[in-house]
Amino acid sequence: MSILAQCGYGRSEKIEHGLDESVIQGVIMSPRDERRDRLELSIQDWGSRYPNASVMFDPQFYAANLNNPRDGHLSEFDYYNNNCGLGRTHFSGTRIQRYVKECLDYQHQTLRNGISYIISPTILFDGFRDSWSQIALNMATESADYHATLSDPKPLLISIVVSETAFQTMDAVEEFLDALTEIDAQGFYIIIRRNSASVQNAMESAPFGRFMYFCHVLTTINEYDVIVGYSDWHSFLLEAAGVTRTATGWYQNLRQFSLARFQPSSRGGRPRKRYSSALLLSCPLINPELQDIYMANLLPRVLSGSGHDSIIQNGPTSGATNWSDEVSCLAHWFSLDALSQQIAAHSMQAEQVQAAERLMQNALTLYAQLGSQNVSFDPSTGPNHIREWQESLQEFRTLAGL
Amino acid sequence: MVTPQLTIEQVERVIPQASDIHELDRGGQKVVFTGIIDGEKYAIKFMEPSPSQVAGQNSEFLDDVTSRAQREVETMQQCSTPYLVSMGPIGLGTADVDGSPMIYFSEEFIDGLNLYSYLQNSGILTPQEIVRLALHISEAIKAIWQFSKIHRDIKPGNIMRRNDNGDFVLLDMGLVFDLQDESLSVCPVGTPLYFSPEQMDFNNRRTTMNFRSDLFSLGTVMYEMATGKHPFTESATTTWDVLGNIANANPKPPIDIRPDLPLKLSEIIMRLLAKRPALRYRSIDLFQRALRGVETEGSET
Repeated sequence: MSILAQCGYGRSEKIEHGLDESVIQGVIMSPRDERRDRLELSIQDWGSRYPNASVMFDPQFYAANLNNPRDGHLSEFDYYNNNCGLGRTHFSGTRIQRYVKECLDYQHQTLRNGISYIISPTILFDGFRDSWSQIALNMATESADYHATLSDPKPLLISIVVSETAFQTMDAVEEFLDALTEIDAQGFYIIIRRNSASVQNAMESAPFGRFMYFCHVLTTINEYDVIVGYSDWHSFLLEAAGVTRTATGWYQNLRQFSLARFQPSSRGGRPRKRYSSALLLSCPLINPELQDIYMANLLPRVLSGSGHDSIIQNGPTSGATNWSDEVSCLAHWFSLDALSQQIAAHSMQAEQVQAAERLMQNALTLYAQLGSQNVSFDPSTGPNHIREWQESLQEFRTLAGL
Repeated sequence: MVTPQLTIEQVERVIPQASDIHELDRGGQKVVFTGIIDGEKYAIKFMEPSPSQVAGQNSEFLDDVTSRAQREVETMQQCSTPYLVSMGPIGLGTADVDGSPMIYFSEEFIDGLNLYSYLQNSGILTPQEIVRLALHISEAIKAIWQFSKIHRDIKPGNIMRRNDNGDFVLLDMGLVFDLQDESLSVCPVGTPLYFSPEQMDFNNRRTTMNFRSDLFSLGTVMYEMATGKHPFTESATTTWDVLGNIANANPKPPIDIRPDLPLKLSEIIMRLLAKRPALRYRSIDLFQRALRGVETEGSET
């Protein structure tokens, strides 16, 4: 698996640096957050400068049927601007054909020289049996049909944006998989809409285990590519489930997807600085958590091994001023990539699942050791999310018969 | 269903261009003869249209026997593969035979044995033959699916093994279902022993039938030809028991019954028998690729 940059506002040169450092293997662009001319130039530039990178454009068409979305630069894109403000009655067969055609044509014609895949338009839905999910399926099928008529197109990824609550009911998940696997496409770009996006806010264990199974059926069983957007620490679990790539960004709203991203901003203060530890499977606060670990002479036990570690190696608090947003982001990608490589080192899925289990067990042991040295952690750091993941992995193992 | 009563003399009158006519098979709603037409041997099928339940009310509706014959002929005309029985020179016709209405058509005569008889006479197939069977019949399923149709009645009695080259051929497309023609019956039809789970679950609004249903039936046939046992009849005493097993029971992997079977082949058969279509193969090409993996494994060992 490989890690992709999930783009949003304020990307500066993080993408280029991430690609240069090989901590990311591609990028998913966000039209909401970029001026159209700048986005098109960047995609073309990356396509030529980084021919091995996967460059994608998430059309974010799902914003078209949100209520008064804060859609930023999306209105500069005709496939969106011609069609935004959609209600339930705006999804007849003819209209869907138009949405699909405009969205796919834009990627096929204008972005062709830079992108690696074409991503289909979709709408957000909350349950696999609700009427919106049927509209999403219709858009997916129409996208596959229209894509088949294009001349020498880039491979198609069908996009799905679904609420985490949809994974509450297993029967509905299986029915949806039956329908989804009828679609002839290269794969899927999946976004899970979280009820709220906050640090280490793990999905409930059973629904997340079912989501892992959902990905497993698409990838391992049906040999589709699956790219999961707005992902974070749980990427290594998704890798064990067979996911091809995950994408994550620099702000919390690029690591978990919620509708807050399309709602008026509350303009909160700057987030406290954190360090991404592949060994803790979490981001401890640089001050006081990482500083406390340093004071307990246990800092080497939690460092991920990135070249940027030198900034905080001799005292996290004193190094914090140089721990910029960009460094923090690059270090985060490095940690996720390192975890991914540990899973990918095993060829059999059962072994990958065991490797994921070991990573979590080792992290819990480390938390316990740090606790015994009086290092305490904010609930947002951990380790409760790891226990949730262990249960998710168990759920996944049962469903997949591993 | 009525099995037509026809003599060879009557067949000679209806199809004067045919000679050396012999009765080949009789059963269900049809009687099959062989005959020589233009120097080639063909099978000639006769069926007696049943009184239509609705014909008197609306002449657009055909009786069941006629519509099945039409589907069969249309599918044979559309599909071109050596693994699907092909149309003969006599197209679909109707005749009045001494006061009885008859419909008829000709198809390729296959010199061979159907797998039901093969199983009775010769027993199970070798692993190589099972792979060959799966490759050939899946090719037939693929040819039908190109027209958005499914066979719905894949079973040993509908698969012939040619005597000359050992190829397997799928017969009897009378139950072929066209997904794009909503006028055709969606009620469960076919042979219950070889139903897929979704074939008997027409209340499910999203899991539609497609070629993966035929793959399930093919999996049942492969299991039977590999082990000599039907995967879903264990401890079943009625058809309802079998249907219940198809929906809910997981059979033993074939390799547990027949240890000399390649593991990969056993896994492929089990995957075809998955309850959910999403757990089978999403394309015939992927299925055939997996089968070729068994062939490669066999040649390596």
